[in-house]
Amino acid sequence: MNITKSDWKMMNNKFVQFFRFIVLNLKILKAVDRSKRS
Amino acid sequence: MAKVVIIGAGFAGHTAALYLGDALGKDHDITVVNRQDYFSYIPSWVWVGIGHMAPEKTIFQLEPVYSKLNINLVHGKATEIHADDEFVIAEKDGSKEIVKLEYDYLVIATGPKLNFDGTKGLGPSGYTHSICTLDHAIASRDRYFEVVERLKKGEKQKIVIGTGHPGATCQGAAFEYITNIHKDLEKQGLRDKADLVYLSNERAVGDFGVRGVHAKYKNEILSSEDFMGAIFKNNNFTVEIQKGAKEVNEKSIYWENFEGEHGETSYDFTMLVPQFLGQPFKYVGKDGEDNSEKIANKAGFILVDGIYGLPYPSLASNPDAWPGVYQNTNYKNIFAGGIAFAPPGPISEPHTTPNGTSISAAPPRTGMVSGVIGRVIAKNIIDLIKKGRMTHHERMSHMAAACIASMGDSLWDGSAATIMMYPVVPDQRRFPNEHGRDLFVTHMEMGLAGAWMKRMIHTTFIHKLQARIGWKIIPE
Repeated sequence: MNITKSDWKMMNNKFVQFFRFIVLNLKILKAVDRSKRS
Repeated sequence: MAKVVIIGAGFAGHTAALYLGDALGKDHDITVVNRQDYFSYIPSWVWVGIGHMAPEKTIFQLEPVYSKLNINLVHGKATEIHADDEFVIAEKDGSKEIVKLEYDYLVIATGPKLNFDGTKGLGPSGYTHSICTLDHAIASRDRYFEVVERLKKGEKQKIVIGTGHPGATCQGAAFEYITNIHKDLEKQGLRDKADLVYLSNERAVGDFGVRGVHAKYKNEILSSEDFMGAIFKNNNFTVEIQKGAKEVNEKSIYWENFEGEHGETSYDFTMLVPQFLGQPFKYVGKDGEDNSEKIANKAGFILVDGIYGLPYPSLASNPDAWPGVYQNTNYKNIFAGGIAFAPPGPISEPHTTPNGTSISAAPPRTGMVSGVIGRVIAKNIIDLIKKGRMTHHERMSHMAAACIASMGDSLWDGSAATIMMYPVVPDQRRFPNEHGRDLFVTHMEMGLAGAWMKRMIHTTFIHKLQARIGWKIIPE
């Protein structure tokens, strides 16, 4: 795997990262939900 | 009125104390014994270690939190456990007063004994630094500042970060520390003068003692080895893995690798995570005899309801070998959580060199895993007191974990690698893919959003752990 220039731009783009921040929160909640069910 | 004693106020012990105090504090006797009178938010010590966070922002006093929940705090060190007679002996800090704490339920959640003695020359009394305690992180920060001054004078410096024992764990902390140093030096325009080396006992980069992580990325399966490898390559780190540090002197770290070859890595500044062991309590039976074999293994970790002694292939194919309620099988009123409980074996495949040296990354049981175990133990003790039976269980093979590895703390141009895995211990029976994990939940990504997540989690966890409003809805 190589980190391309385009990847770097995405990683630092504030709008894209705001969207990813929301996605990450939802993913963590999903992971926690899986845990709490057991 | 039931008496519950909790030894240790780290993630597992403190979380257990919060739930127990909340449910039972008014009617029952909950006591926490802790060496410090404050809680330490360990995940942020990587920032303390480079001077980007004040040490006091990573701690808070326990007494005001425990007063709210009717929990007693003994600021001191537990020294003896009398399991047959159901009491603990502790020595108070400062006055050295010896106290006897009787219990109906005992939770051992001490965190690790940092075994610097396991590697000659390792640790603050030797030649290396650590970020495993707050004092160590502060000492690392001061030494790092000296290195920065040398770099500013134009001197080349070699910084080695990693693990300091063939059986060490907590590679994530080492990864975070080296990437934060990288980012800090880059911002100061000094990165080109420093050689950054990652030295680890892992089988592969990104193994982290959990057999690596595999997740979907751009319609392909991406391994943590590739993911971390790309980060290391991009940051121009020298990677030295499959190496167990055996000795350190003032100039070099001496290691043995997977092939059994011996070699050395020189350094100017080094932070190496030591081996973790269980706390060395004195276990006393009914007639004063040593009954430690009923409670702890030889490394000092507390034996619980896991299946111990399985060879690695059997353990890897039997996720039910991992404990579910963290209860000692000989003494049903003793529970252990966090690093204190004895895992049934490694998650990552262990390796023995031709010389007989075991080089194996031990299973991580920190942070989220510790918090979840603390909650499960607390809920079960509440169940036992109120209903007479336990209703909660959560094996690490049923548990999700999120690891947000900081790679620069700035909220403007920082970054973090966010890794989520479910379950922590692969389970190929429930997830019949090559990796034994749910590929819908398991996830890896890197970017500024991770830096925001890391900071948000620092704030929300400290809020939760201070039992402030809404603390119960914030997950561990």
